[in-house]
Amino acid sequence: MDYILFAAVAMAAAALGTPFFQLNRARGRAPGYLLAVALTAAIILVALNTLSPQPVPEFGTLLTSDALGGLFALVTLSVTLAVTVFSLPTISIRANGPLYYSLLAFSALGMLFLSYAADLLILFVAWELMSLPTYALAGFDKNRKESNEASAKYAILGALSSAIILYAISLSYGLAGSTQISTVVRAFAAQSTDPLSMIAILLFIVGFGFKMSIVPFHMWVPDAYEGAPITISTLFAAATKKAGFVAAIRVVLVASTVYAVTQGSIFTIPNIFAVLALLTMTLGNLAALTQKSMTRLLAYSSISQAGYILIGFVIFSYAQANPAYALDGTIGMTGALFHIINHSIMVTAAFLAAGLVLIGLKRVDLGAFEGLAKRAPITSFTLSVSLLALAGVPPLNGFWSKLLLFLSVVNGPYAWLAVAAVLNSAFSVAYYVWIIKRMYMDEPESHEKMNEPLTYVLIFAVLTALIIGLGLFPQLGINFAQSAIP
Amino acid sequence: MNPILALLVLIPLAGSPLSYLLVKRDRESGIAVTLAVALVTLGLAVYSFWYVYAHVPAIGDYTLMGSYQWVSTPNFGIDLLFGVDGLSSPLILATAALTVFAIIGSRRLIHGGSPPYFALLLLFEGAIMGVFTSLNLVVFYVFWELVMIPMFFLIGVWGGDKRRYAAMKFMIFIFVGSTVMLLAFLAAYLDVSPFSFDIPTLAGKIPDGLQYLPLLASFIGFAVKLPVVPFHSWLPDAYSQAPAPVAVLLAGVQSAMGGYGIIRISIGLFPYAAAQWAWAFLLLGIVTMFYGAIVALLAKELKRMFAYTSLNHMGFVLFGAFATVISGNALGMEGAIFQMFVHAFTAGSLFMVAGYIQQQAGTTEISQLKGLRNTMPRTAGLLVAAAGAAMALPPFGSFLAEIAVIAGGIQANAYTGVTVLVPVLTGGYLLWMIRRVVLTPAAEHFQVRDMPWLDAATLAMYLIPLILLIVFSALILTPAAPVAQWVVHLTGGP
Repeated sequence: MDYILFAAVAMAAAALGTPFFQLNRARGRAPGYLLAVALTAAIILVALNTLSPQPVPEFGTLLTSDALGGLFALVTLSVTLAVTVFSLPTISIRANGPLYYSLLAFSALGMLFLSYAADLLILFVAWELMSLPTYALAGFDKNRKESNEASAKYAILGALSSAIILYAISLSYGLAGSTQISTVVRAFAAQSTDPLSMIAILLFIVGFGFKMSIVPFHMWVPDAYEGAPITISTLFAAATKKAGFVAAIRVVLVASTVYAVTQGSIFTIPNIFAVLALLTMTLGNLAALTQKSMTRLLAYSSISQAGYILIGFVIFSYAQANPAYALDGTIGMTGALFHIINHSIMVTAAFLAAGLVLIGLKRVDLGAFEGLAKRAPITSFTLSVSLLALAGVPPLNGFWSKLLLFLSVVNGPYAWLAVAAVLNSAFSVAYYVWIIKRMYMDEPESHEKMNEPLTYVLIFAVLTALIIGLGLFPQLGINFAQSAIP
Repeated sequence: MNPILALLVLIPLAGSPLSYLLVKRDRESGIAVTLAVALVTLGLAVYSFWYVYAHVPAIGDYTLMGSYQWVSTPNFGIDLLFGVDGLSSPLILATAALTVFAIIGSRRLIHGGSPPYFALLLLFEGAIMGVFTSLNLVVFYVFWELVMIPMFFLIGVWGGDKRRYAAMKFMIFIFVGSTVMLLAFLAAYLDVSPFSFDIPTLAGKIPDGLQYLPLLASFIGFAVKLPVVPFHSWLPDAYSQAPAPVAVLLAGVQSAMGGYGIIRISIGLFPYAAAQWAWAFLLLGIVTMFYGAIVALLAKELKRMFAYTSLNHMGFVLFGAFATVISGNALGMEGAIFQMFVHAFTAGSLFMVAGYIQQQAGTTEISQLKGLRNTMPRTAGLLVAAAGAAMALPPFGSFLAEIAVIAGGIQANAYTGVTVLVPVLTGGYLLWMIRRVVLTPAAEHFQVRDMPWLDAATLAMYLIPLILLIVFSALILTPAAPVAQWVVHLTGGP
C-alpha cells in the first residue's frame, strides 16, 4: 500500500472538495467535518507508514518514506486537525467558511509533501504550497486592520524567504548538477572549500530560518501571530514552523554531516547554529517578559523554544566532524526532535486556550486572564499545564526534551550553551508563571462564568492528557524521536 | 526489592485527587479521609524510621531499597531507585508527622476554596517523600520541582495580604536555583562510565578535577531552599505570607530539603571539591546563623521573627556539616542531622502558634499584642514552650543538637566557638518577645479569646518528640553515625 500517496490524495480531495460547499447557501459545518475526516484518514495512513515504511514509486526519487518524514507529517497533520476542529463553531457560521477549510487543507498537503521531500524541487513546491494559503489565512479576518497587516507582513517576508531558498537551490544545482538532496549533499562535501557551497548552505539557513522563527529572522512573528486569527497563529507556531525545521534537517543538517570544516576556522556550521541558538532563546525570552498581550507573549515564547531546538542541531552537526561526540550528537538530536513534538502539543494547547478566552471575553491582553480560574476553570487548567510544560517543569513533557538537549551539550566545547540554555529556561519561568498567578491568584473583574463548550473541552482534554502522559511516560516519545534521526 | 518507600511516595500522591473530590463533596468527611491518608503515610514513615534504627545500614549504604524501571531508551535510562539511610529516615518521619499536624491545623484555620487546598497538601507531602527517598538524580529533580508547584499555589491563593508577591518571589528564586542545580546533575551523568544518574553509583567516582563547578551549581540550588544568606530574600515573605499550616511545612520540611541535598549530593557526590572549599561554606553557615539571629532581634512581627529564627537554625546545619568535612570528626554532621529533625518541630510549633494568634487576636504585630497570658492563656503557654524549644533549652532535643554542632565546629577550629553566641542571642530576643507579648498587662476590658483545648492538645504534640529525643537521642544519632563516617571517608578524613 502506498500510504503516503493515499494520504496525499485524501488531503487533495478535501482541498478541492470543500470549496464546492460555497455554492450551497446553508453551509454549516459540513466542510469542516469533511476536512477533519480527511485529516484523520491521512494521519492514520501516515502512522501506518511510519510503523512499516513503504516506498513511494509514483513520485520517483522526489519523496522518501522515512521515520523523520513520518514524525513531521504526524505533528503537522495533527496540529491541523486540532485547528480544524477548534475552528468548527466559529468559522462555520461565516460566509466564506468553506474556503478557510480549503486553504487549511492545501497548507496541510504542502506540509505533508515537505516532510517527505527528497528533492530540492519538490521541497520548494511543497514549501510554497504550505506558505501561500497561510498568507491568505493570516488575513482571513478581512475587516480587521491587524489581520490585514499580519497578512501583508507575513507575505512579504515569506516571499523574501522563498526567493532566498530558490537562490540557494540554484547555487546547489550549479555545484551538483542535480536537485536530488543526497547528490547535492555529496557535492557540498566534495567541494567543501568552495565558498559557493558555504554560501548556499548559509542561504538555506536564512531561508528556512524565517519559518523556524530564529533570531534575526523573526521580525514578522509577533505581528503575524497577534494579527492573524488565533487558530491560524496556532498553525504557524505548531505546524508551519516545524515544517521549517524538517527542511533544515533534510538539507542543512544532513549537509553538515559530510561538510568538512576548514581547519582552524571558527566559521563552522555548528558554531553558526550555536550563535543563532543563543540569540534566539535569549532574545525570545527577554522580549516575552515585557509583553502585554497573550498572543505576542506566546509568539516570543515560541521563538525562544526554537532556540532550544537549535541546541540539538549544534551538537549533531558538531558530532559529524568529531566522532568522539557521536553519543552527545544522538542525544541532542533526539532531544531536538522530541522537543519539536512536545512544543507542538504545548503551544497548540496554549494558543487554543487563549483562543477560547478570545471567543469568550473578546480580548487576550494579559488583563483578561486575571481571575480566569474562577470564570473558566477548564481553560485555566489547560493553559497552566501547557505553560508549566513550556517552562520545563517536571513531570511534564517539555522537561524531558529540554533535559536531553541540555545533557547533550553540558560536556564539551558547547558547555557555555548549556549554561545559557539553563539560565534562559530558569528566567522564562517568570513570564509563564506570571500568567498562572494572574489566573489563580488575582481577582476577576466580573464573576460571570465564561462559556466552555464541549468541543473545546474535548480538545483541551486530549492535549492536556498528551502533555501529562508524555511527561509520565517519556520513553515512547524519546524512542520515536530517536528512530527518526536522519 | 521493598515496596515500602514506593508506597510512601505513592499513597499521598494518589490520595491527592481523591481528597480533592471528597472535600468538594463534603468538607468534613473529605478532611477526615485526607487525614487518614496522611496517617497511613505516617505509619509507613514510622516503620521505615524504626527499620533504619533497628537495621542500621553499613557506611555508605542504604536500606529498604526498591528499584523500578521508568525510562529506558538506547542512550538514556532512568530507574526509580528508592532507599533510606540515617540521613533521610528522620526527615521522612518529620515530614509525615508535620503533614498530619498541618491537616489537623488547617481544619480550623483555612476556610475559602478548600477542595484543592487539602489535595495540594498531600501532593506536597508525596513530592517531599520522593525527594527524601529517591537515589536517582533525575527522579530527585523531578520530585524537587514538584514540591514547588503545590507550594506556589498554597502561598499565593491562601496566604496573607501580600501573598501574590510572596508566591511569585518564592517561585522565581526556587526555580532559578533548581535549574542551576540541574546543570550539576547533567555534568555528573557524563563524568562516570557507564553513564548513570544513580547516587550510589556516582558517589566517590567523579574525577576530582571535575567536581568544582558541579559542586557550586548544586550548592546554589540547595542554598536557596535551606536558605543560606545571601540566597534567603524570598524567605521572610514566603514564611510570613503563607497560611500557618503551610508555613509549618515550608519552614519545617522544605528547608530540610536544602540541608539534605547539601549533605547527600553537594558533599556526597563532589567530596573532593567540598573539602577544598569547606571553609567558605562553613563561614556561610556561621554568617547565616548570626544574620538570622540579629535580624530576628529587630523583627516587629511574630512570623517574621520566627522566619529569621528558622534561618538562624538552618545555618547550624550548614555549619555542622562542613565542620565534619574539615575536621574529620563525625560530631558536627550528626548534630546537623539532629538539628534538621528538631528544627522541623520547633519551627512548626512556632508558626502554628503564630497562626492561632493571628486568628484569635487578628494581628501578629508584636507592638499590638499585649497580655496574652490573660487574653489567651493556653496559646501563651504554648508560645513560651515553643520559644523554649527554639532557644535550645533543655529538656528540648534542640539543646543536644546545637551543642553537638557547636562542639563539632570547635573540633574544626576553636575560634568557631564564637557561634555559642547565637543560641544566646536567640534566647535573648525570644525572651524579650515573651516579655512584650505575654507578660505585659492586657487592656482593661479584655475578652478571653483562646484556642480550643483540642487544638492546644494537637499543638502540644509538636513538642513531645522534642522532649522524647533528649532521652532517646540514640534513635537519631545511631543511624546518623554511619552517614557522618561516610562523609569523613569520602572527604579523605581520618
